[in-house]
Amino acid sequence: MPGKHLTFVSEKPCRRCKENLAVLVVRTEPLCRDCFLRYVHTKVIKRMESFRVRFSDNDQQRKILLPISFGVSSVTLLHILDQHLRTQAEKTRRTGFSLSILFVDTSSVEKSCSGDTLMARVQERYPDHQYASLPLHDVFRLVDKDTSLLGLVPGLKSNQDLSSPEQLSSLINSLTSATARADVIHALKTRLIVEYAKSIRCEGVLWGDSTTNLAQKTLAETAKGRGFSLPWQVAEGESPYGITFNYPLRDVLKKELVSFVELSEPSMSPYVHEPSLGATQASMSSKNTTIDDLMKQYFESVEENFPSIVSNVVRTSSKLAAIPGTSSDPHCSLCYMPVAGGRFGIHGWGGDQEDGLEVPVVGGGKGLCYGCTRSIPSS
Amino acid sequence: MAPSLCAICATNRALILRPKDHSKLCKPCFVSVFETEIHHTITTNALFHRGEVIAIGASGGKDSTVLASVLKTLNERYDYGVELILLSIDEGIKGYRDDSLETVKRNALQYEMPLTILGYDELYGWTMDQVVEQVGKKGNCTYCGVFRRQALDRGAARLGVKHVVTGHNADDVAETVLMNLLRGDLPRLSRTTSIVTSTPSAVSSDPNSHTNIKRSKPLKYAYEKEIVLYAHHKNLDYFSTECIYSPEAFRGSARALIKNLERVRPSAILDVVRSGEDMAKLVPGSDEGCGGVCASAVAAAEEGEGGCGSSNGRTAGGEMASMEMHLAQNDLAAENGLEVEITSVPAKKGKKNKGQPPAPRKTTKQVMGQCKKCGYLSSQDVCKACVLLEGLNKNRPKHEIGVVDEAQEDSTSGVQGVTNGINKVNIQVD
Repeated sequence: MPGKHLTFVSEKPCRRCKENLAVLVVRTEPLCRDCFLRYVHTKVIKRMESFRVRFSDNDQQRKILLPISFGVSSVTLLHILDQHLRTQAEKTRRTGFSLSILFVDTSSVEKSCSGDTLMARVQERYPDHQYASLPLHDVFRLVDKDTSLLGLVPGLKSNQDLSSPEQLSSLINSLTSATARADVIHALKTRLIVEYAKSIRCEGVLWGDSTTNLAQKTLAETAKGRGFSLPWQVAEGESPYGITFNYPLRDVLKKELVSFVELSEPSMSPYVHEPSLGATQASMSSKNTTIDDLMKQYFESVEENFPSIVSNVVRTSSKLAAIPGTSSDPHCSLCYMPVAGGRFGIHGWGGDQEDGLEVPVVGGGKGLCYGCTRSIPSS
Repeated sequence: MAPSLCAICATNRALILRPKDHSKLCKPCFVSVFETEIHHTITTNALFHRGEVIAIGASGGKDSTVLASVLKTLNERYDYGVELILLSIDEGIKGYRDDSLETVKRNALQYEMPLTILGYDELYGWTMDQVVEQVGKKGNCTYCGVFRRQALDRGAARLGVKHVVTGHNADDVAETVLMNLLRGDLPRLSRTTSIVTSTPSAVSSDPNSHTNIKRSKPLKYAYEKEIVLYAHHKNLDYFSTECIYSPEAFRGSARALIKNLERVRPSAILDVVRSGEDMAKLVPGSDEGCGGVCASAVAAAEEGEGGCGSSNGRTAGGEMASMEMHLAQNDLAAENGLEVEITSVPAKKGKKNKGQPPAPRKTTKQVMGQCKKCGYLSSQDVCKACVLLEGLNKNRPKHEIGVVDEAQEDSTSGVQGVTNGINKVNIQVD
């Protein structure tokens, strides 16, 4: 609610326009509504410079995929880009790119919105784009038939007739912890989004991660043993999937996006699944807490008082550089990250005391990276 | 309900739920598996060689006590042929070290190892109490940390010992990985994950120089909870206390995270350590690319190992706030274009660069040299310890007037004793 911002800054004028009263404080700067909305808009558009009209080809429209979850971030990103494209069209009669929107329905395997109502609303409000909605199990259909991803589904060898939805539930039900389920679902979702983007010839994916989200991802992936993959998790540019990744919201904090949704007029709340912060306050004792939940809660609390520390984490992890040549390394069957020297699994390093002195099996087993092996143990 | 049997021997009743993987073990199997894993760490990393004299950095706490006990056991069992001695540093904090040093003295007798105790006053001419009197409680951890980092090396050099082992465990390493991510300190992140940090002999030709000491952490992959369990089941004599001066906020925050992660997924501590090792190879300019063998870990001496590691996540105080302020000012300056980059080549100000993102900032690689004053390894002309000492000595009063407040002293040690008692009770309940 905007009211809570008003109470403690109501007396101050906006630092930027010096005319209106400030409605909230953004990184020590009191801002009025208009200046705040412009602030967020500018931060996002700055990140979209490579998609300017002048870089576009007259003959071929550049197409990018925007996956939408109906969370605060992805809806805001759509809203800002929609505005941006309109401005481009008004000014130059053409646009630098076109958007395809994809919603992945994961409601069969986790607590989430099914998206039908929201999809209809969003499509009506932002009608100029292509829309699609796919169930998560379509990943098995879209990924090539011979892929090792299918090898992860238990029982598939004995029963070739499993339908995609059955394959998905069979895989998810075989996992023993909430962390593992969330992790695998997330990996499958990414794979599906990428495959879909390629299938409709998008040149890249625009992810809706805020600064806070990227910081959370940095620590969560570290905690899940995927530190090796960080250069591809937060940095922009060519991804191991053979398609470019961009994070236009990387300079905006989660709480700023929440304020954006609240303050924009007409309100964007009807298009957002859970518009407010703190929806993730799951009880800590619960067995259902995941590593991602933990990090989410942590960074949402850090961003309250220490927003620069949050952005510094992202700046730091973005400095990690992939070792040249790693892109030709064998890929993990689940998350598709390149695994150095094909050293799959959790064995064969200093912290592994079970396998004695044996050299790790190169290319053996299911071909899962360290982190994915933690989620899907080989036995 | 039938009692479950030990997952390893399948004969005894399982009494221990192993923290690392939640397997159910009996007491002898747990003790043996714990020792075997340390042995495995020592042999796979070739930490020791026959005939070597090894100083165990002993604080009287659980980690170093367990380290001393396990190393003694393994040295006898597997005939490493190394000579083990205990080296303790006395920071000179009344009520903090007095009791723990008594524990170390008893350990020396129990394990039949020679013990040397060196005080900050002997090494630097200042006890921590005197430092606090001079600089106040704020910021004194800097002094303690800087002095401590050199103290073990200086002490080892005095004894003519080339190798110091410390009790850093997996929780400590994981905590340091997360802490350095939170602090944005990649160079340190890449250094702290290696099991051996040694100062190459090239730096100094003097064999007795304290820049030529190898440091290793045999407990790097051992869980803190298992160390406590081991100490408990082996009835080891250790002292648990916390530094009475202030803790670091970043470490506290990281520690709280690690504890929560462990609760959600027991393997997480090990997974963070693994991530840290992998990330060390990705830090631009690090020499981990060659497997950490070439010019490896020159910076051992400046390694930020743990400050005092005493914070239990109870504060998120001044340290984070001041870093936040610093970073926010940087951001503001960058945004307003206040920060002017001065380059010798005039920058082309055209529209050329606009479409491209600026080149990623390089992490500066530290070049290690020697301190001009004490000869200690340093990236600056004069090492941090000497800089701090100079500041202290400048302000030292010519005549000291000392009044010992005995009443206060007694009450502090009383409290420490009680804390220790509570800790012991806790362990037995577990």
